[in-house]
Amino acid sequence: MATVWRSQYAFARFFVGKTVRILNNASDLGARLKPESISIPLSRKYSNYAASPFVSKIQEQYEFEIVKNPPEWGYVERFLPLETVPQIKPKESYPSGWIAPKEEAKNLPYYIARNKNHQIPIYLEIGYRGQRKITKIKRIEGDIWLMNDLIKKYLKNKCNRYVETRVHEMGKFIDVKGDYVNILIDWAHAQGF
Amino acid sequence: MGSRQITEKSLAMLRSLPRISLANLRDNPGSRKNNKRGRGQYGGDKHGAGNKGSNQRQNYMRLGYETGNNPFYLRMPHESYYKGHHHRREYPPISLLQLQKLIDTDRVDIDKPIDIASIVKSGLYHFFPDQKHFGVNLTDEGADIFAAKINIEVQWASEQVIAAIEKNGGVITTAYYDPHSLLLLKNPKKFFETGQAIPRRMIPPPDAIEYYTSAEMRGYLADPEKISEDRLRLAQKYGYELPVLENDSNYSMLCERKDPRQIFYGLEPGWVVNLKDKCILKPKDEELLRFYAS
Amino acid sequence: MSSALINAIKRLNISVLPQIRFCSSTANQSSAINVINNEFSVTKKEWKFPPSYTKPREVWIENLDTIEEKKVGLFELHPLVYAAAPRIDIIHKNVTWQKKYRWVSWAHTKTRAEVRGGGKKPWPQKGLGRARHGSIRSPLWRGGGVAHGPRSGKTHFYMLDIYSRLHGLTSTLSAKFAQDDLHVVRDLELPTDESEYLIELIEKRNWGPSVLLVDDTDYAPRNITVATDSLQYVNIMPVYGLNVYSMLKHDTLILTQAAAEKIEERILHHLNSTKVVSKFKLSQV
Repeated sequence: MATVWRSQYAFARFFVGKTVRILNNASDLGARLKPESISIPLSRKYSNYAASPFVSKIQEQYEFEIVKNPPEWGYVERFLPLETVPQIKPKESYPSGWIAPKEEAKNLPYYIARNKNHQIPIYLEIGYRGQRKITKIKRIEGDIWLMNDLIKKYLKNKCNRYVETRVHEMGKFIDVKGDYVNILIDWAHAQGF
Repeated sequence: MGSRQITEKSLAMLRSLPRISLANLRDNPGSRKNNKRGRGQYGGDKHGAGNKGSNQRQNYMRLGYETGNNPFYLRMPHESYYKGHHHRREYPPISLLQLQKLIDTDRVDIDKPIDIASIVKSGLYHFFPDQKHFGVNLTDEGADIFAAKINIEVQWASEQVIAAIEKNGGVITTAYYDPHSLLLLKNPKKFFETGQAIPRRMIPPPDAIEYYTSAEMRGYLADPEKISEDRLRLAQKYGYELPVLENDSNYSMLCERKDPRQIFYGLEPGWVVNLKDKCILKPKDEELLRFYAS
Repeated sequence: MSSALINAIKRLNISVLPQIRFCSSTANQSSAINVINNEFSVTKKEWKFPPSYTKPREVWIENLDTIEEKKVGLFELHPLVYAAAPRIDIIHKNVTWQKKYRWVSWAHTKTRAEVRGGGKKPWPQKGLGRARHGSIRSPLWRGGGVAHGPRSGKTHFYMLDIYSRLHGLTSTLSAKFAQDDLHVVRDLELPTDESEYLIELIEKRNWGPSVLLVDDTDYAPRNITVATDSLQYVNIMPVYGLNVYSMLKHDTLILTQAAAEKIEERILHHLNSTKVVSKFKLSQV
């Protein structure tokens, strides 16, 4: 509707005195253009080349000042992206459930290294349209076979069923058949990883 | 077999093995399969293409064509309820739980006001303004465990989210950014490097004005008096004691709010930021100042 | 078969525990070894990304001033870069990538359309009792075009993903370090510009016949540049030129202290970057 009105106003000057037959667009159909029916507003209209005024006073260069070491630079630096993931400063509590790794865990014969975002690298892989669920424990260092035995025993006690696992020593991961992500994350937290 | 440590074992093995050189490298067994040449009975003759028909001649009909009957993809008529769905604004969500995780892992600085630029700076939230994404939608997953006093500015929030943030003594505002401003906020460094002046933020479109002028949604154009009344209402509704912001040590930080025409905190429209020379170019011309202040 | 493999591995004399004890004990005591003589310096590092499980490695800082080696310091190296698990398959992938991505195959054969002649039907379709043919240059004919032959200018460009390339570098550096082929040197200052000096030095110190010297900048002191200029098996390289192929081609790898630090800093930066890793796209449009 806005385009309709603008075109009517823009071309109003030319429609005064003309008959209805001269119509520029379909939306003007049915409009009875009489001198009184058209009200031309007093502001300048630039949509029509013939009626628009000449451009004057074009400024090529605008005045500006260069402020070196401005006080607002702190705000600018806030937007610049971080290059690497920051180390986490210790806090009293972490409401989101993040648990910091413990120093004692480094003395264990096996180890799960945190990933670059400081999270425990235990993931769920879902395949075959949800029919296959594998819990993948990545970034394992140390004695992976011992860790495998411990995990199998722990899950056997917890879930009252035999749990199949796959140890990949070169790839440094263990695949556990089934969805035991939260259970294993709690186990890892308990170990201190 | 010595120690069973993975890395230490392999590095120790290397000490007794010949030097690794270009001559004794090998890929994992079974990782490479040689391509079979189709010759004779071994993949040859018809080369897996069958007999006659478009399968062998590779002159298929267009995808979806069902040899004349009305195809599946044309059978469904238009439904009125999804008319204009591709024109509607989208607000990619981030939950309070995720936000708490970002705060706990120091990806987002809570000593300064948080806006969409700081959330994107953490590197763990992405949105695409060219795909009709109009900003951050803060969802209420994790509203019960949220415990951080922040001054946050999002584009869409529900009542539970507002209550959760204000319960912890924080401040939440919903503000509108037009797509061009969002592109700037998504990657401020890239924008500053173009050397353009910071533009003004545009006002919300007509169907969004009601949201951003309402006190219930803490709109940035709403009446501050009504907002404080609504803070009390929410405290009574959700049953927590409304923290007094004036007594807070961070009161000035919590009060920091952007002007409706401002895109970046602390930087006014019209300024040109020069990252290389570490200076800001500010306009002095009256016409420009009038334009950018309007 | 498998028992033979197990026997072979048993014969390798894997003795890891002593090594770990050595590393861990020296790591604790390195701050105690202060100054034995004026030149000895121990660098105890402030890690930006502290090593977690694997112990940091320690390496002597040597000199190139004299033909005999003198240890002028002790230097700590980050385990994620210099004691990473040596993945031979990743090293192999890196080497094949380096070989292949630049290669353009210029082999070229003509198709039946490009071979000269063969526009006319050799003989009528029917009546002669001969096989039917449309052109004398079809692939069936002697002298005819090649059906699916090589076409000139075939590129084999592909990009290996960033983490494969990073782990290739760390594996090679770790392998070199484990096999005693990595030496850290204070700087590349030589007393003379004669290449005989370098040959004698390499012989005396039992470094491999081919040596790769890595400096952190791409300008080197004059003496070493002149000395290595005539020797085809001793090469200098800046840190940004470090690659798996070169490291394996040269038997010994010599890093300057600054170069070792820079390599460590860059690799750890990429391993911990906030950038979201996406697949390499050749077209940037």
